[in-house]
Amino acid sequence: MKQHPLCTDCEDKITPMDLPIPAGLKHEWSKCESRRQFLGRTGKVLGWAALASLFGEVGLYHRALAAAEAASGKDNLRLPHFAPTAKRAIYLFMSGAPPQVDLFDYKPNLTAQFNADMPASVRGNQQLTGMTAGQARFPIAPAHWPFNQHGQTGTWISDLLPHTSRMVDDLTFIKSTNTDAINHEPAIMLMNTGNMNAGKPCLGAWLAYGLGSMNDNLPTFVVLQTKTNPKENNQPVSSRLWSSGFLSSEFSGVGLRSVGDPVLYLEDPAGVDRETRRKMLDAVEEINRQTLAEVGDPETNSRIAQYEMAFRMQSSVPELTDLSKEPESTWELYGPDAKEPGTFAYNCLLARRMAERGVRFTQVYKRGWDVHDNVVGNLPVLCQETDRGCYSLVTDLKRRGLLNDTLVIWAGEFGRTVYSQGGLSQENYGRDHHPRCFTVWMAGAGVRPGVTYGETDEYSYNVVKDPVHVRDFNATILHCLGIDHNKFTYKFQGLDQKLTSPVPAFVVQGILA
Amino acid sequence: MSVGAKVASQSRDVWQKARQGRRPRVVLGAATVLVLLSLLFLPLNGQPHADWLQFFGRFHPLLVHLPIGLIVLLPVLEILGTRRPALREAAGLVLQLALATVLVAIVFGALLAYGSGESGTTVTRHLRGGILLALELMLCVALRRTWLEAQHTRAYFVMLGVVLLTLTWTAHQGGSLTYGSGYLTRYMPPAMKRFVAPSAVSSHPNSFFAKHIYPVLDTKCVSCHGTTKEQGGLRLDSYESLMAGGKDGIVIAPRNPDGSLLLKKVTLPPSDPHFMPAEGRAPLTPDEIARIRAWVSAGASPEARSVPGIFIAGDEEEAPPPVGDYSALMPQIQQMQMSQGAKLVPVSAEPSDGLILRTTDVASTFDDAQLAKFQKFALFIVEAELGRTAVTDDSISTLIQFKNLRALHLEGTAVTGRNLAKLTSLPQLAYLNLSATKVSSDALGPLKNMPNLRHLYVFNSPAEPASADNSVRSTQ
Repeated sequence: MKQHPLCTDCEDKITPMDLPIPAGLKHEWSKCESRRQFLGRTGKVLGWAALASLFGEVGLYHRALAAAEAASGKDNLRLPHFAPTAKRAIYLFMSGAPPQVDLFDYKPNLTAQFNADMPASVRGNQQLTGMTAGQARFPIAPAHWPFNQHGQTGTWISDLLPHTSRMVDDLTFIKSTNTDAINHEPAIMLMNTGNMNAGKPCLGAWLAYGLGSMNDNLPTFVVLQTKTNPKENNQPVSSRLWSSGFLSSEFSGVGLRSVGDPVLYLEDPAGVDRETRRKMLDAVEEINRQTLAEVGDPETNSRIAQYEMAFRMQSSVPELTDLSKEPESTWELYGPDAKEPGTFAYNCLLARRMAERGVRFTQVYKRGWDVHDNVVGNLPVLCQETDRGCYSLVTDLKRRGLLNDTLVIWAGEFGRTVYSQGGLSQENYGRDHHPRCFTVWMAGAGVRPGVTYGETDEYSYNVVKDPVHVRDFNATILHCLGIDHNKFTYKFQGLDQKLTSPVPAFVVQGILA
Repeated sequence: MSVGAKVASQSRDVWQKARQGRRPRVVLGAATVLVLLSLLFLPLNGQPHADWLQFFGRFHPLLVHLPIGLIVLLPVLEILGTRRPALREAAGLVLQLALATVLVAIVFGALLAYGSGESGTTVTRHLRGGILLALELMLCVALRRTWLEAQHTRAYFVMLGVVLLTLTWTAHQGGSLTYGSGYLTRYMPPAMKRFVAPSAVSSHPNSFFAKHIYPVLDTKCVSCHGTTKEQGGLRLDSYESLMAGGKDGIVIAPRNPDGSLLLKKVTLPPSDPHFMPAEGRAPLTPDEIARIRAWVSAGASPEARSVPGIFIAGDEEEAPPPVGDYSALMPQIQQMQMSQGAKLVPVSAEPSDGLILRTTDVASTFDDAQLAKFQKFALFIVEAELGRTAVTDDSISTLIQFKNLRALHLEGTAVTGRNLAKLTSLPQLAYLNLSATKVSSDALGPLKNMPNLRHLYVFNSPAEPASADNSVRSTQ
């Protein structure tokens, strides 16, 4: 079938020239065509050019510029946003969740309600964990130990914490902290990274990324784990809690081991001297740089930085962990436990030494607080293990003038229920997870000493005044270090990621100094 | 009859009429003066009298504003009267009304003072002021007549001026009685305040008492418990009188807020007859009560600058003056860091927050000579981290160039304190760490004169007091 001459998808190129029409007409057509084409095309080209320059200016160019800025990294962060009150922080993490009812949140009226059923209205429609959801009743378990008032502020503290009691005037308590998660893993992730799912950077990594190092010879962010007590219910902690997430891995926490050498293979092997080690590292760096040039993976840069850091740590870590020059007053304060590596007191002492040496963020983990049963048996041990260390750290920082620019934080991932998990007797009881309220304390730079913020109801179950969500808590910590949590972002997966998540968070103004 | 004789006889008539009208007035006036003067002898000794006296007396604040208005209106009418004679005529009536209402106000005021038996210098002054005012107004009435008759043209206006001055002074005394003596100056800009009323509240002007307790007492209590009145024999207008207590004994028991009468009285239910402040005056706010309670718990010290658990916005040390912008020097700063190893770190993104001199990475080799090289940036450095460096006493000569220095770390150095006195030339220095040095307590003497130096650390040095660990001691 013959195609129509004006059809556009012609198999054979048929133009009006091929048509059986008069030659004059053909000539006129050819002239016509060229003029139309010329004018039409010129107009379109000019239009596109104008459009491209118009959009390109505002869109593409700036997008490219922003990408370049993001790639060049920290120099454009311009942190701290404002003059910080704290240069560094020490975070004492009580993994497993300490029972606020037994330690800080004094509820004298509960004693009379021993074994009474907790009113259903208090719990409301809250979904409990599988561990107590099936319980026929929720009997109230008052704190087994008496409370007393301490300090000039008259703060009520359990007799289980005789040392902490001595420094209540230096502490800032938040009794209304609350979280979204009821199980350890999501809760501890939320506390550390602002998100229940793994993969986000933790507080320490954000600080390392944003504020950088104060000492080139030590890591910016160090994690110290306390030796576990096998009799306690130890929930796992691992490097996901001090991971840098989507930030460069050079910002993740460096864990010092609790037993043996704090850093493995720190000593040069026999026959390798410092000079040889240096040469080897230079050669490895050269190879790494070639890889970087070929592949362009920024993680190669992190690897180079880590090798260099490890080399410098070979001399700085032995000096850090050498406690032989500590004056006698140190041992009087921290007690004999501090001489044994891996104890909480030892880690507290190490944390003080790192603060002196410019480590930006130290996190000390103490596991075992998960007292589902045998509170009466386990809690005194846990308190005995940690109480003196906490007191010594704050007191030591204070007398050395370090508390002026160091923020100390004591927190777990959630609280524990006022009702007993399992059997309740005069002698013993257990406590389940409780996300609706828990007590944390802070001390030092940036926070008001002697303040108790927030209130819980008479069952230490719901917050009745000044709630502080984990997000608010983290925003407050960032604030003390001179960071506006809303401005401190990192573009990843199309989102301006931040520690406090996209949900609005508020700095707790009521505790700021 | 000639015109002249007519005028003369008319004027004689006026004169005689005036003479006839004047006699009873003079008698009345003399009686009033006597009554007024007798009021001066009212026994105001703190003993209250019959309730009905007070009932009527309490209308005094209501009535007292009427004569004030009238007296202020008087000169206005007189001045405008030069153009519109009708207003001048009105002025005569206003003057007489003012005198009448002043007398009434005085009577009611006397009833109030006598009835409640209020004592104190301000009450007496107010009463005397009122009486003086009445006497002056009577004189005005007489002088105005002579003025109208063109005998003494100036005297009346001079007297009017005196009346206005007396009125102002008396009214101020009355205001002080009601609102407290510091009412007008309380929110005065500080510069003006220094000029008008040099503060003599306390020998420790920066203490917690002077800044946060005294103002509460001054606004809420002193109007009845001060120099003006001394209800219950209690004066609360100074630290000493507060601690001395009143008729019922001490009102502040240090470290025992529950045993402190003052706190008890202000926390009673407002309906309680013993509730303070009495007579419907503004009660203390929960914040103010918390402040006093915390201060008492902490020992009710006249000197303490802060009290645990209490924080008051604006109480922080005045923000130090911003340092200049170092941005222009950034290339030099970076070059300096490359060559010296020590860093100059911005305090924040805001250049006016200054720089921190950070020596951690090169501490063991950082000495006086290296420190001297940073003099170029002296004015921008607000914090010098020289802990565990090799600097010596000679470093102080360099450091005193750092005029904006707020924090100085010298812990663990060879500093002996020989030159510490020079540091007094650093007005902003607030933090000084001399821990683990050889500094003796004698060397610290000159530092006592530095008003901004709030944090001084001498742990593990010869200067350390025997029981340096305050936190341990105070909470035992």
